[in-house]
Amino acid sequence: MAEFLRIRVVHSTQHKIFPTITIWILVILGIIILLLEGRAKAKAGKPLFLKPKSIFVENYDKLKFWGCIALMVAYFSLLDVIGFTVTSILFVYLFNTLFGGLDRLKDKKYHLNSIIISLVSVISISLLFGTVFDITLPDGICTIWIKSLGITIF
Amino acid sequence: MPFAFGMEYLAVAFLGVVIGIIFGAIPGMTATMAVAVFLPLTYAYSMEMALYLLLGLYVGGISGGLVPAILINIPGTPSSVCTTFDGHPMALRGESERALKIGITASFIGGLISLGVLAVFTPVLARWAIKFSAVEKFLIILFAMTVIAALSQGQMLRGIWIGMVGVLISLMNQFPVNNTFRMVPKFLQSEMQGGFQLFPVLIGLFAISQMFEECEKGMRAKYSKEDAYEVSRLKGFKLTRDFKGQGVNVIRSALIGTFAGILPGVGGSAASILAYSQAKSWSKHPELLGTGVPEGLIASETSNNGLTGGALVPLLSLGIPGDSTTAILIGAFMLQGIQVGPLFISSRPFIWNTVLMAMLVCNVIMFLVMFFPIKLVSKIIFIPQERLYPVVLMMCTLGAYATLNGRMFDVWALLLFGIVGYLLKKFHFPVSCFLIGFILGRDLENYFIQAIAAQGGSLIVFFTRPMSWIIWALIAVSIVYAILDNRKSKRVAISK
Repeated sequence: MAEFLRIRVVHSTQHKIFPTITIWILVILGIIILLLEGRAKAKAGKPLFLKPKSIFVENYDKLKFWGCIALMVAYFSLLDVIGFTVTSILFVYLFNTLFGGLDRLKDKKYHLNSIIISLVSVISISLLFGTVFDITLPDGICTIWIKSLGITIF
Repeated sequence: MPFAFGMEYLAVAFLGVVIGIIFGAIPGMTATMAVAVFLPLTYAYSMEMALYLLLGLYVGGISGGLVPAILINIPGTPSSVCTTFDGHPMALRGESERALKIGITASFIGGLISLGVLAVFTPVLARWAIKFSAVEKFLIILFAMTVIAALSQGQMLRGIWIGMVGVLISLMNQFPVNNTFRMVPKFLQSEMQGGFQLFPVLIGLFAISQMFEECEKGMRAKYSKEDAYEVSRLKGFKLTRDFKGQGVNVIRSALIGTFAGILPGVGGSAASILAYSQAKSWSKHPELLGTGVPEGLIASETSNNGLTGGALVPLLSLGIPGDSTTAILIGAFMLQGIQVGPLFISSRPFIWNTVLMAMLVCNVIMFLVMFFPIKLVSKIIFIPQERLYPVVLMMCTLGAYATLNGRMFDVWALLLFGIVGYLLKKFHFPVSCFLIGFILGRDLENYFIQAIAAQGGSLIVFFTRPMSWIIWALIAVSIVYAILDNRKSKRVAISK
């Protein structure tokens, strides 16, 4: 019994001990969950595997959902190419436009507000964190370094 | 009893409370999100200053949820679910100002009672926990994880499973003892030396995934101005009348909230539901609850603010977060190089006193900021989501980037875990279980290896110490509770 409950702790392989245990627990527990949920489904007279149903809610907003992911990918890709401030001003505005929806695309007042929000929020945050607090922000071609004053505007 | 205090701290606490209230009052945004988004601000602060800001956000965020709960029948944060039951009917009768003021006062009292428990209980628990060896520490974390599973209502096995996935993902790094990578693709080795960082994971799971969900639903306001009830005062608030005979209810609800907070993984919504159902079963006229009586409102709001102090108890005494918001606070302590755990109070008395003081100050500010200008506060619910989410995303990005002094890898991790969190919710896995597994995973491994290495690899070490028996008993209790509760909620689900 004592030998059975012993794990060999060797310096060169001990990084594997805990992940291995975790994976075993996941596999065993996973099988138990599948069996139990399968049995419950069989009892309820439902087919074991449902047809691959869409995970989205009915009539989900395709434009905003996929648009949001696409804009995020574009935003993150450009951050350290262009620099934090300029990229963020552009994308906070674009996100505002996307979230506003098609019906407000021609609403001039909405766009004006979007521009004000993006300019004010990004510039104040960028100056506060990057310049005053000296936190490293993504830099790029639009980053301004003023070496003599020790100031960076990302 | 020295602590950090001064005008600059008050100003920061004020800022935190006000922003917290805004986050709390907008449905779809939570206190956890507020703390996560503003964490980067503390990079440049001292620990004391950071505490005033973060605790302000926490207290404000939990309290702000009562405003939309009462005025538009939508809880601003999950923890004010039960506030809608009695708060909204009162608003329908034209007593919204009275309801809001009762809620705010109840929140304030709940916060103070939980602060008392925090001050008394934490040192006791810490003194007890100092005696823990790696064995007990391992078992305590195991216990914390079973408690979480126990509370995943009818999803115990799924809760444990996804918690273990969280553990596994936290282990994707370079093992510090023998400097060997595990489960890391070759091309990511330079970035993943320390594994995934807590902030991107957390902000991704709680803020970005929420944003995806709102996008899916079209990012539309769930209500229009016509749905909201003007702050009216057909019947005004009177402390002596509205709180008459509520002493027991207040204390019971505050303590339920506080102890729900102490148990790791129990969120504010569970606390509020528990306190509300207790208030109902102890009430002299239970049939009136739900029709707009102060009793139910007081139970819900006292308990969810009671949670704030309670959730800090295990964080500061054991180093285990009591809920998702305090999990972020761990990050704030780590940033400043401060280890929270059994030795925290004795080694850092100044910071410990500051925590207590900051909690008190933030509760007082919350009360003042919400109680008197209540008409102004109630306007917050009209801030449209589509205006706030872009700014929140920008701040999350900044926070993720700054996590380890500027890496794009952490920004991409933000997107990755945003998608992970979104999918977990879609497939009905409890996200909080995943997060707690991720947070505690590395400690779990660390203590496990320490414990068995000292005994030549023998697993018997986990069963030989008397103190470990107590924890095993606790684990057994929580598993039995989980199984019973699991059956009950499944039966309820079937009968529905």
